[in-house]
Amino acid sequence: MKDKEIDDILKKAAETPHRVDPALLDRVTASLGASLGPVRPLPPPWILATGAILVCAAIALAGAARLGLSGFRELSGLQRVLIFPALAIQIGLAATVCVRERIPGSRRAVAPGLLLAACCVSLLAVFAVLFHDYATERFVHQGVTCLVAGLLHAVPAALAIALLLRRGFAVNPVAAGLAAGTLAGLAGLGMLELHCANFEAPHLMLWHTAVVPVAAAAGALLASFVRSLRPSRALL
Amino acid sequence: MRTAAVGGTANGARHSADIGDNWVSRYSPMCLDNHPEQLMARYQQGDLAAASALIQHLSPQLHRFFLADFGSRGDADDLLQETWMRIHEARHTYRPGEPLLPWLYAIARHIRVDHYRRAQRRTAREAQLDDASSPAPAFPGPSAAAPDLEALLAPLPESQREVIRMLKIAGMSLDEVARATSSSVGSVKQKAHRAYERLRERLIVMGFGKGSPGGVS
Repeated sequence: MKDKEIDDILKKAAETPHRVDPALLDRVTASLGASLGPVRPLPPPWILATGAILVCAAIALAGAARLGLSGFRELSGLQRVLIFPALAIQIGLAATVCVRERIPGSRRAVAPGLLLAACCVSLLAVFAVLFHDYATERFVHQGVTCLVAGLLHAVPAALAIALLLRRGFAVNPVAAGLAAGTLAGLAGLGMLELHCANFEAPHLMLWHTAVVPVAAAAGALLASFVRSLRPSRALL
Repeated sequence: MRTAAVGGTANGARHSADIGDNWVSRYSPMCLDNHPEQLMARYQQGDLAAASALIQHLSPQLHRFFLADFGSRGDADDLLQETWMRIHEARHTYRPGEPLLPWLYAIARHIRVDHYRRAQRRTAREAQLDDASSPAPAFPGPSAAAPDLEALLAPLPESQREVIRMLKIAGMSLDEVARATSSSVGSVKQKAHRAYERLRERLIVMGFGKGSPGGVS
């Protein structure tokens, strides 16, 4: 039996007319008509993504400028050339995924979970290749300080992203939360790379990188909580 | 090529044949000549006739989409209403010029998932859900003109059923199904391929084909 034959059988089976109660459709029409007005479609996704990238860059730069740019000053040319473009690429990709998760029916280039994993792995690889000081002096104390500072900058980034994409509609709120959290975490990490002058490899690989998955997990959890509060919208 | 077999528009679901006489008498017949994408663009501009035409035009396939999963007409009615409410709230997220069906089915899937989640919380309805998900209807014999679509698809896993329904009932392309299900075209092709493999076995057992293997390349 060939595909064409299966296709014909399915086609024939699908042709059976399916009727919906006209009264139900009238009720739906009347209900929508009651609040029908012109709406402004969302701007193109690339505009929203660019806005999200600028928001992240602005928060990272403003935070680092306030706390001091000692990290950037201490980095070598090679380190700067590798770290910041890598971060920029990740932020660009995360912004694109984040915007697409808020527009139903968009093409999904990368799943948010895969995006998070890819960001973490590439950050670990960049830090492992560039930094070879394996000392762990005041590992926990300094680490927690950096993690908290990174997350504190991820919070305003997340709020600004939520504001920018407030007109979007996430069909999978957890995935959208994960993507937004990843993007906000990258903004926090960007601030840390500009500010923190502790170049011990374990410090960077654990505490700096951790900002991204922690922010992503917080975004997903928050979205899941909000979704659980959402009531059913049936008319009757 | 299998893609051609599973990816083409299967029926006239996009056309206006389903629009009832009821509607024609009340709203402009100009809507009948418009594509859903054009109707949606006019709906965004606040045109009630376009909104009504869209509802009349797309509700049968959406209702069928829900009915296949839940088995109960009441549940399908509720989900259909809820879907239109969400579509109304989110209508500004549709971008004119983009295909409408992936956008619409992405929202419909979201409503269905939410409904599953709520239903699972209610233990009283678990048995009912189990009944709905089991392959209940019996196949008619090969002498029948065509088997019931849902009975034919019932043995397939939900993800494969969903893909076949979108391709064959909604007449969506592979790319549109990928958009609606937030997956890749490759993943949709793979699901359709596996579904066709299972359907082939099933149909041969039912005596619809001669049993020639292959065909899905």
